[in-house]
Amino acid sequence: MLIAKHISKRFGAHQALENVSFEINEGEIVGFLGKNGAGKTTLMRIITTFLTASSGTVIIDGEDIAKHSLSVREKIGYLPEKPPLYSEMTVASYLKFAAQIKGVAAKKESFQVAKVLDDCDLLRVKNQKIATLSKGYKQRVGIAQAIIHEPKLLILDEPTSGLDPIQILQVLALIKNQRDQRTVLLSTHTLNEIEQVAQRVLMMKAGQIVLDESLEELLKKKQLAQSHPVTLEQIFIDYHQEQAPLNFLGQGL
Amino acid sequence: MNKTFAIVKKELHSYFSSPIAYIILIATLSLFNAFFFLIIDQNHEASLRDMFILMEFMFVFLIPLLTMRMFSEEKANGTMEFLLTSPLSLSMIVSGKYLSMLIFYSLLIGMTLIYYFILEYFGNPDAASIFYGYIGIWLEGAFFIAVGLLVSSWTRNQIIAALVSYALIFSLYFSTSFTKYFSGSTESFFMQLSTRTHLENFAVGIITPSNITYYLTGIILCLVLTRLSIDNRLWQ
Repeated sequence: MLIAKHISKRFGAHQALENVSFEINEGEIVGFLGKNGAGKTTLMRIITTFLTASSGTVIIDGEDIAKHSLSVREKIGYLPEKPPLYSEMTVASYLKFAAQIKGVAAKKESFQVAKVLDDCDLLRVKNQKIATLSKGYKQRVGIAQAIIHEPKLLILDEPTSGLDPIQILQVLALIKNQRDQRTVLLSTHTLNEIEQVAQRVLMMKAGQIVLDESLEELLKKKQLAQSHPVTLEQIFIDYHQEQAPLNFLGQGL
Repeated sequence: MNKTFAIVKKELHSYFSSPIAYIILIATLSLFNAFFFLIIDQNHEASLRDMFILMEFMFVFLIPLLTMRMFSEEKANGTMEFLLTSPLSLSMIVSGKYLSMLIFYSLLIGMTLIYYFILEYFGNPDAASIFYGYIGIWLEGAFFIAVGLLVSSWTRNQIIAALVSYALIFSLYFSTSFTKYFSGSTESFFMQLSTRTHLENFAVGIITPSNITYYLTGIILCLVLTRLSIDNRLWQ
């Protein structure tokens, strides 16, 4: 579904991404990990065509994003870190607008709006102005716009950031429900969320992919090596150990 | 086309969902009405010539206030990323934004057509020269909107967008004032650059291909540059 080959991105003197290559198969939910500034958002912005790579290619569903930008965007649903919402619009009118600009056929427009309102549990607030919604609802509206055109690839940049525990569970349930319908690339800092929904983990560090493995295999390998149960959190710390306050984190405090 | 139309609808909804659009319409029309009666009272002429000159002067101040938010707000709110990652071409985004403001502006201009009917009722105005005057003032506003849209694509800060738009539109409007310092082709250049030179012709009922070409070239140039500015993510 997604093939990234030798992607590099430079902002002036800063090398944000360096020779990043990976593949994501159809139907996979892939957890995307890395500290702040590791290059996750830059990579997602390149995949969604918002930014162009300094070098390298991305192929989505057989199409090169540099050559077929518009048709590739029809296949992608994207929720940026800050949900892109128009606060003066109601939820329903915003989703209708999203359906129109994402190319949903006019006769299917009402059906798709009703479907995502239901899927994202937004029916209760559909006539409410977005400015008046809680952060959890705003995040769900953001996810609703990302899936309204039934994209093959869903890219979510920290969709649970700033939410309370109940809202996080609701958003994770929503992402899990996408499993059979589309490929998902999910970026988050909360490792336990990846353990709950993802099948594979990509980890970035200083603009490079340092880990690309199935979650099950990864946990199994680490468990064998250390002969006691291992969490993704410990693996994440291992990979970033030289920069972490070692003893403090290593003791699990 | 449907996607462009969706952007136009969304933009118009956005203007009219806040009180700003109504305040601008009411305040501008109130000022126009007051000046209309003052001009008629002073000139005793069934003509809108001076009214067009006044409207042009007012639009120099008004249009940057209307256009400053067009792209700046999208960037500041993060919705620019939403538009640019949706299956929309840059031309659709730019033309959707531009057309929506043009419709709002046309509505404002359209409301002043009442002046013609008042003149018609009380006197015998030259319908053709008033018609040409309206074409001129509409083209001038369309040009100023294109300038404002271009500037708005450069920054995420609405105040900066308004100030730079003022600088550019003032330069266009007042460039005839610089002609006294120059002679020959430079003088002619500043004269031709000024919007006042071109609107004066329309206001007295003269319509020439060079005047039309001036406005259309300015509009197209600004829209093409806006598209380039967004394509190159100049605000980042």
